[in-house]
Amino acid sequence: MQGTVDYSLIALQPDPDSEEFWAAAREQRLLVRACSDCGQRWYPPAPLCPRCRSFNLEWHEAEGRGVIASYVVVAHSVLPAFRPAAPYVVALVELPDCANEDGEPVRLAGLLLDGEEAAGVGVAVEVAWEEAPDGAYTVPAWRAVATPEGAPVWRLDAELERSEAPA
Amino acid sequence: MVRSGSGLRDRYCIVGVGETEYSRWSGRTTLSMACEAIVTAAADAGIAVDEIDGLASHQATAGDSCGNAEVASALGIRTNMGVDILGGGNSIGQLVAQSIALIEAGYCETVAVWRSMNGRSGLRMGGGAATRGGEAPRPQPVAAAGRGQYQVPFGIRGAPTIYAFEAMSYLQRYGYNTLHMADLAVTQRFAATLNPKATRREAISIDDHQNSRWIAKPFRLLDCCQENDVAGALIVTSAERAADLEQPPVYIMGGCARASTHNPSWTWGRPDMTEGWGKFVRERSFGSAGIGPEDVDIVTMYDNFTTTPMMYLEAFGFCGEGEGGDFVGGGRIHLDGELPQNTNGGQLSEGYAHGIGYLIESARQLRGRTDDLCAGWRQGEHTYDRALGCRQALAREDRRRRARGEPVEHPSPPSVAFCAGGGGAQQGWTVVLRR
Repeated sequence: MQGTVDYSLIALQPDPDSEEFWAAAREQRLLVRACSDCGQRWYPPAPLCPRCRSFNLEWHEAEGRGVIASYVVVAHSVLPAFRPAAPYVVALVELPDCANEDGEPVRLAGLLLDGEEAAGVGVAVEVAWEEAPDGAYTVPAWRAVATPEGAPVWRLDAELERSEAPA
Repeated sequence: MVRSGSGLRDRYCIVGVGETEYSRWSGRTTLSMACEAIVTAAADAGIAVDEIDGLASHQATAGDSCGNAEVASALGIRTNMGVDILGGGNSIGQLVAQSIALIEAGYCETVAVWRSMNGRSGLRMGGGAATRGGEAPRPQPVAAAGRGQYQVPFGIRGAPTIYAFEAMSYLQRYGYNTLHMADLAVTQRFAATLNPKATRREAISIDDHQNSRWIAKPFRLLDCCQENDVAGALIVTSAERAADLEQPPVYIMGGCARASTHNPSWTWGRPDMTEGWGKFVRERSFGSAGIGPEDVDIVTMYDNFTTTPMMYLEAFGFCGEGEGGDFVGGGRIHLDGELPQNTNGGQLSEGYAHGIGYLIESARQLRGRTDDLCAGWRQGEHTYDRALGCRQALAREDRRRRARGEPVEHPSPPSVAFCAGGGGAQQGWTVVLRR
């Protein structure tokens, strides 16, 4: 799948809330917004702390390891950039090192470069990086790593059994 | 704020409804369709178009429809109120609520709430290219700005990809699978076979669903609502004015306007992605109407995808937490089931108008004048025989009698409809109606 997305067909437009996030991505660093006053962390980089409403913010550099919280297998994409890559998996990845005390998780969507066979809720992943042509921008993506033994993994296809006949 | 009926309960009515043909290529402007829907709804109500002094509408993407100023001008009316809001499926209940509030406050008297969209031939949701026949659009770079910065570069664009995360999470959390989704699609399609205006009228089977192509797993083609061109309109006015109009009044009992969850990251950042807006306004919705789920005869649940009604049915207490996937099976949401749902076939089968179709259908059902294949439907003459093409639902007591095999000599139409719209876990509305 890697290399099959035509990133030249996406015009990324960072804004004042996000430009540092995207600048760090070019250096293959994954930044998550953090509150300098209460320590809350969140993504995407909204301009104030959603917990204490402070505008006094900093960045937390994430380790780049996470767990798939949900996923989608896109067979039909309306994005010309992604059509050659279909079917492709977008994973919603939760970052344990960014978790908050109040239970609010930090989750990022990104391409799962290993494809559908590796996809599943509970699968451990680490960040990888996809570069747009001519260094226009870099986006975080994900690669599966060894999921800890005993950790439950759920896949849609494995659930396709039902004893009761549909009425 | 839980009350046994708000001060506005039953004081406002939907007195007229109307829509254009559902098509894939209208060949018309959204202005032309909007005016037809409004003129049709006014005629249905038995009021002159000149009596409309307020207009309320929405656009899902700026520019996907004309606005109220153009519509007032084309209709040749002078208005006292015009509300144009941005939003998709989370809008029509908000517009009904705003209409009531503005009439109550004395700003206007009779409002046409409308939505017009060339949702297939014009600006499609998600920005897919409008095509006719084999025209292949030339790829253009897609802007990734605002919220799109965190979606488009990752391959997320269009409703199926946006809503799949919460749908997948729902299936995983409660152990459901795509056969549960098939139950819903098949049951609603049956209702659409009795709906002459439905976009899709051919019956489908569980196998048809399972064999339809993947769009964005867990969604297959038959899990996704239609894309089409259409306009719909509702006429909202006071109960006093409604009393001597053409149609039996449909009273607005209560509801919520545009409720949301709190989350900075769409709904994906919520600890439980399936915990949507509905649970936060369940008491407000029923409390304002002064009823409970057990008093509801029929429901409409926003069916942009087959999983959404499962989550909404739970949120409003029509079934227990985690029971939605089972609830939509076993014939429970069938026209003659425990709780008929989306009796027009819903947006999956009748067609997609960002939710106004639910209120149009509910009004007709409550009047006992559902547009089906019965020759006398306009006069409320129904056979209540599905084999003869009747789509008129029965009141819940009559349905129970029928289910027990007892005769129902004088069937009654439903008394109360509960309508919930939105699209996903993030935002939505409710409108509770009675006859």
